[in-house]
Amino acid sequence: MEPIDIGIAVTAVLFVLVVLGMRVAFAAALAGLVGLIWIFWSKKGYDPDEFGWALSVAVKTAGQVPHSKVSSQALSLIPTFIMIGYLAYYAGLTKALFEAAKRWVGWLPGGLAVSTVFATAGFAAVSGASVATAAVFARIAIPEMLKIGYDKRFAAGVVAAGGTLASLIPPSAILVIYAIIVEQDVGKLLLAGFIPGVVSALIYAGLIVGMALAMPGFGPPVGGFTWGQRLRALPPALPIVFVVVIIIFFIYNPLGGDAWGTPTEGGALGAFVVFVMALLRGMRWRQLRDALMETAKLSVMIFTIIWGVLIYVRFLGFADLPGAFSNWITSLEMPPLLILVCILLAYAVLGMFMDAIGMLLLTLPVVYPAVMALNGGEFVSAADSAFGMSGPMCAIWFGILVVKMAEFCLITPPIGLNCFVVAGVRPDLSVQDVFRGVTPFFIADAVTIATLVMVPGIVLWLPSLA
Amino acid sequence: EEWNVSLWGKRRAFTEHVEKLAELVSDKTNGEFTLNISYGGLSKNTENLDGISIGAFEMAQFCAGYHRDKNPSITVLELPFLGVDSLEQEREISMAVYDHPAVQADLARWNATLVMPSPLPQYNVVGVGVAPESLADFEGFAVRATGGIGVAMAAIGAVPTSMSATEVRQALDSGVVKGVSFAPHAHMSFGTIETGEWWTTNLNPGTVNCPVVVNTDALNGLSDAHREALLGSVDEALDYYIDYYNSNTMERWGPALDERGIERVTFPESELAAFKEAAAGPAAQAWIEENSARGLPAQELYDLVTGMIGQ
Amino acid sequence: MAVHASVLEDGSTLSRLDRGLYRIERVLALISGLAVFGLMVLAVLSVSGRNFFNQPLPGYVDWIQQAMPLIAFMGIAFAQRDGGHIRMDILVGALRGRVLWAAEFVTTLAMLVLMVLLVWGSFAHFQRSFDFAAPMWSRDSSFDIHLPLWPAKLLAPIAFSVLCVRLVLQLWGYGRALWLGLSEPIAVPLVKSAAEQAAAEAELLSDTDG
Ligand code: NA
Ligand code: NA
Repeated sequence: MEPIDIGIAVTAVLFVLVVLGMRVAFAAALAGLVGLIWIFWSKKGYDPDEFGWALSVAVKTAGQVPHSKVSSQALSLIPTFIMIGYLAYYAGLTKALFEAAKRWVGWLPGGLAVSTVFATAGFAAVSGASVATAAVFARIAIPEMLKIGYDKRFAAGVVAAGGTLASLIPPSAILVIYAIIVEQDVGKLLLAGFIPGVVSALIYAGLIVGMALAMPGFGPPVGGFTWGQRLRALPPALPIVFVVVIIIFFIYNPLGGDAWGTPTEGGALGAFVVFVMALLRGMRWRQLRDALMETAKLSVMIFTIIWGVLIYVRFLGFADLPGAFSNWITSLEMPPLLILVCILLAYAVLGMFMDAIGMLLLTLPVVYPAVMALNGGEFVSAADSAFGMSGPMCAIWFGILVVKMAEFCLITPPIGLNCFVVAGVRPDLSVQDVFRGVTPFFIADAVTIATLVMVPGIVLWLPSLA
Repeated sequence: EEWNVSLWGKRRAFTEHVEKLAELVSDKTNGEFTLNISYGGLSKNTENLDGISIGAFEMAQFCAGYHRDKNPSITVLELPFLGVDSLEQEREISMAVYDHPAVQADLARWNATLVMPSPLPQYNVVGVGVAPESLADFEGFAVRATGGIGVAMAAIGAVPTSMSATEVRQALDSGVVKGVSFAPHAHMSFGTIETGEWWTTNLNPGTVNCPVVVNTDALNGLSDAHREALLGSVDEALDYYIDYYNSNTMERWGPALDERGIERVTFPESELAAFKEAAAGPAAQAWIEENSARGLPAQELYDLVTGMIGQ
Repeated sequence: MAVHASVLEDGSTLSRLDRGLYRIERVLALISGLAVFGLMVLAVLSVSGRNFFNQPLPGYVDWIQQAMPLIAFMGIAFAQRDGGHIRMDILVGALRGRVLWAAEFVTTLAMLVLMVLLVWGSFAHFQRSFDFAAPMWSRDSSFDIHLPLWPAKLLAPIAFSVLCVRLVLQLWGYGRALWLGLSEPIAVPLVKSAAEQAAAEAELLSDTDG
């Protein structure tokens, strides 16, 4: 068997293990380890005497991956961004945001769901992880929506979809991961996500309003707030602005001077500010400990997926599957934009089965160079390019598109992390319930992605200023 | 016969000798022996020696400064101000060090045999803000510099500050560091010249040493013809590499600076002599002491290197 | 807001072992959380050092890299105990009784085999960086301030060993459920019943005003 055949066979085994309900991180690692053993043994012509050697080399190769891959400064943004999310909960920011959103837009058709979307968008500005955002809002927003008669599946779907906004609006752990893989400027990528995140939220809100108008008994608006009540709801949510300013200024100084530091530092300082706020609001050791435990739990889940998938990716490297794919893509004779759309569609399909981080880690080393080549190369000028943008701008634009696709995958079955998390926090909801509730948002995401493809300026305007 | 080769990043001047070697070996053996080069697919760059030691792949490249405890003997080539002034000389001295029995024993701990270096020119600083007029202006200057170069910069009062390569550009943009020390090809590929306002032409504090190694068992397991095809192609691959680096990268470097209006800062010889005196002696002394304590013939290795430069 | 997974307990040996191990797992997870907190403090020190004292924190990156394995590994068994690691439960969720326990037993056994092998592999990784004869026992060190890497590398086999013990207990739990045909076995994560959830939810809301 050729290495590529082994690659395909082992990939099939991975799908079987995942469907059987094996924890995804471990299924990927096991598939990768089995694949490595197979590859090394095949080099020795499947000689029974050499099986021990192949096993040992494979195990030692896989055994490097966990320590090697998690010991990264850039990945340290992930637990920091997650911790901000949990501390913000104890700083009262989640409730304050939700309350303010409710008083200002609750009167709209589907008002409470729209409020949830805007509150998650606001929270996205302090939270770097979709799953953390979804977890926090599942606790706050779902009970309120259930109280006034929303369908529980839809309520869960709103939260799962709203959570994805955290990955576009900075800070964002997954944009950091993209920047690391493709070696592009982390700061510009974080900035680029801002407007698409807002656009995404508006499109979600539009969808909800439309559904509420079209479907009787959807969930009543919550009106009757006076302007005084509305204004009074703002100050508790204001600290968000403070944190946003810190994070932005550590990425890019809009006033024209030097930025204040690196994104890593900005994230940590944002966390520190939220921590102080939580202390001032009376957070005690017990709550801090709970927040740290939750941060630890979500971090270890994410990192286990990272190293588990990377053991599998290491095996793919030995099987040279990415190389084969790359050759195939670049040999296609189609208009570049059509190829790009096909790539995005392929992500949608792949994302059904994969977790977002795993998918990016797995595919970008292959797909990114192909997309850059489609545009005319890394150093192409906007005038000579296929997509009408310079090489570095294309890297940013594709990054936002891919992250939006990856976020889309967080809400698609059968493996949609956000839906798992919402179902995990709300044990009265099964994963299938959440998947059913989130389905309408697939349409909204498709509209968003189409918009970003047709109007790249939405992505590129902010980073072009920096 | 197929060997896997673990490199990292993407194909660039720094990897052309391995690409050339693969081409030569395949030609000489009519395709019977091939080197299958992977850029980052087989290992992380700081763990290429581990992979060689395990036997996961047969050939790899790494830099000595990534992990001095793994390969203390060859870090002698990264000492500041050795005074190497060409890629040819860097190649010659590296090969001599790689031939030393103590060095071979050091790498044998990883089941590795040194095959060839990846000679790089002297590092220099691209910086932002007011260009330094004398070395005194480096006092309190935050600079991204690693290994022996960091030690040297600290000797004139600069503050070496570390960050991953992907954050270098951001750090320079944001003022976390005021300057970055790299070889020209890295200044171009990590984009420091997009922000930088000046470049030091002759600071020349040193360079890094990045050998290509093979798994010793795999090398011994080759047929005589294949081993000859491999080892007999090293010289030609290195000739090609040096020619490529000189004619491709270095030719692009000057125009790249001019296009961006980057000022060239040249320090007077007298100042550089003082810098060298402040940094080179103590660093060499410390290196010799530390590595003698490890049981290496450190003085001998140091003398080997400096002796060849003196000629 | 901590949500406790539903792991049933009784006075049996298995349950006592389960709870004993859980105490250890919680401590390890807390260490991981404190390491995240430490990262934050480190960044604050780094920024203030640079801006107020013109003295960057030496080896900032090296320290981050040392802390990451604490965060990435130490909570791994804790997450497994509570059924926290992500999986696709469309098929498993439809199973009941002995078939369910058989499926859980098989996938848990596969995990155990994997983790035993990875304890071996990650310990080998540690061993290559460790040398009794060398200064600070180090055969591999960090980039800038040359911290020995072996303590961080040792964390992986340690955390993975704890996970192996947890998996053995869960295999025992699932095996027992399979053998005896139980409907609500102890010491394994269960899907909660509606009434239990309502009670847990009520406790949660009175617990905090987040
Ligand atoms: Na965010
Ligand atoms: Na999915």
